[in-house]
Amino acid sequence: MKKKILIVDDEPAIVSYLEMVLQDQGYDTVTAGNGNEALDAARAGKPDLVTLDITMPEASGTRFYKELRTDPELSEIPVIIVTAVTGLGGDKYAYEKFISNRSLVPAPEGFFPKPIDREAFIEAVNGLLAA
Amino acid sequence: MTPNRLGHIEEIQEWLRAHLFDQVPVAISIIDRNYNIVDANPRFEKSYGRWRGRPCYEVYKDRRAPCTECAALKTFEDGKVRIREEKGRIENGNPMDYLVHMVPVRGPLGKIRFIVEMSTDITEVKKLEREKREAERLAAVGETVAGIAHGIKNVLMGLEGGMYAVNTGIELADDARIARGWMTLEENVKRISEFVKEFLDFAKGRKTKVAPVDPNLPAQEVSDLFRERAAQAGVRLEVDLEQGLREAALDQDAIHTCLSNLVSNAIDACMVAEQTREFVVTLSSREANGVLIYEVTDNGLGMDYEISKKVFSKFFTTKGSDRGTGLGLLTTKRMIHQHGGQISFTSTEGEGSTFRIELPRGSLPIPESENDIQEVEVCSLRTEEVTP
Repeated sequence: MKKKILIVDDEPAIVSYLEMVLQDQGYDTVTAGNGNEALDAARAGKPDLVTLDITMPEASGTRFYKELRTDPELSEIPVIIVTAVTGLGGDKYAYEKFISNRSLVPAPEGFFPKPIDREAFIEAVNGLLAA
Repeated sequence: MTPNRLGHIEEIQEWLRAHLFDQVPVAISIIDRNYNIVDANPRFEKSYGRWRGRPCYEVYKDRRAPCTECAALKTFEDGKVRIREEKGRIENGNPMDYLVHMVPVRGPLGKIRFIVEMSTDITEVKKLEREKREAERLAAVGETVAGIAHGIKNVLMGLEGGMYAVNTGIELADDARIARGWMTLEENVKRISEFVKEFLDFAKGRKTKVAPVDPNLPAQEVSDLFRERAAQAGVRLEVDLEQGLREAALDQDAIHTCLSNLVSNAIDACMVAEQTREFVVTLSSREANGVLIYEVTDNGLGMDYEISKKVFSKFFTTKGSDRGTGLGLLTTKRMIHQHGGQISFTSTEGEGSTFRIELPRGSLPIPESENDIQEVEVCSLRTEEVTP
């Protein structure tokens, strides 16, 4: 059975890009435009991996990440952060906030600044889902 | 009153008469109806230089003729105490900002014979104010430059996504995928152009052009501009402008941009509202206690707490990549601050929002006009009139 990846980003172009890349690797994808939608999607059909943007309107990626990690059903799902927030030249505050909120929960399995290094991203996804 | 206390008071009054004029740290001059300085204290001479036999406009402003809007002349006419901020040019050629109180002196028959002008040098205060404004502007520019990276990275990734779709589409001979990729490329190139335009507006800022203008004029223009778009969106655009507002020193284009941003946002907020109802956006103007107020009210989506916290932060948008760059309200806020004003809002989720621009007349900028000192003094920063 194909493994399922939940793509969370508020930018339609980026969702579309990641969808294409991951489908080309033979994965199923579902998408969500904000943290609330993402939580609903994760609960509706447990994904095998999540790619997550941090800065989104409405429920942010940070909040989604915390809820995911503290939900016994979902806490084991690997998460790869894909974000334009990198702390250098970007919105440092949001990233620091993310890191500090993260301290109570385990770290994400992967972190990719936008625009992503596609080869490395695919490698990371394949690695996490091979186990 | 005991004779002893009375004695003290006389002593104090005697001292005041003899010394206050000479020792008070305020420049005092006494002017007659013909612009002659008839007396002045040592402090005045120290600040403004030689005054004997010279008219006030020459001493205060280095002018050859009386000022076009002489406030002292008005006080001769109406007997009101006036407080104004003025710009002058002192003897060594340096500009000086000073705060002047003009008080009428009446003769025995009640006729105003002289005006006492008491001025305090506020050049340093003004300089600090200017430096603070400039520092704030630079800080805002710095933040924007940092924020640009964030915005651009998303666009870059969109472009890479488009290229990926086109390239793999060609490999797989998948026309639909090529078309999809090409569309993404076009969208993101367009987005970059919009970003660049807004960055220029925001970071460099157009040179502000301040001139006296009817405050209702930009509001009327904006309502004309948006009438059709509102109608298409199924929103009624109402205009409620207080008639007879006095002209104010505004950058008309900037106010136009601010009101456009607010009205455009209000229409968008109606379009995405969850319930359907008769949507109304109201643009109003009024004046209360010397403060010009513009309001844009909608009965659209409204904001929850999370969103309302981020309204004025950079690159925050709920409209998705095709609608907003997240700079509109930030630009609006900056322009309003440049006018010495404030912008605020109230919002209830599901019921709508009101954005309010408040521009105190006393803090409005000075109209520019080729360094013409005469123009500057006509529109002094602050004119308070106090009936004695």
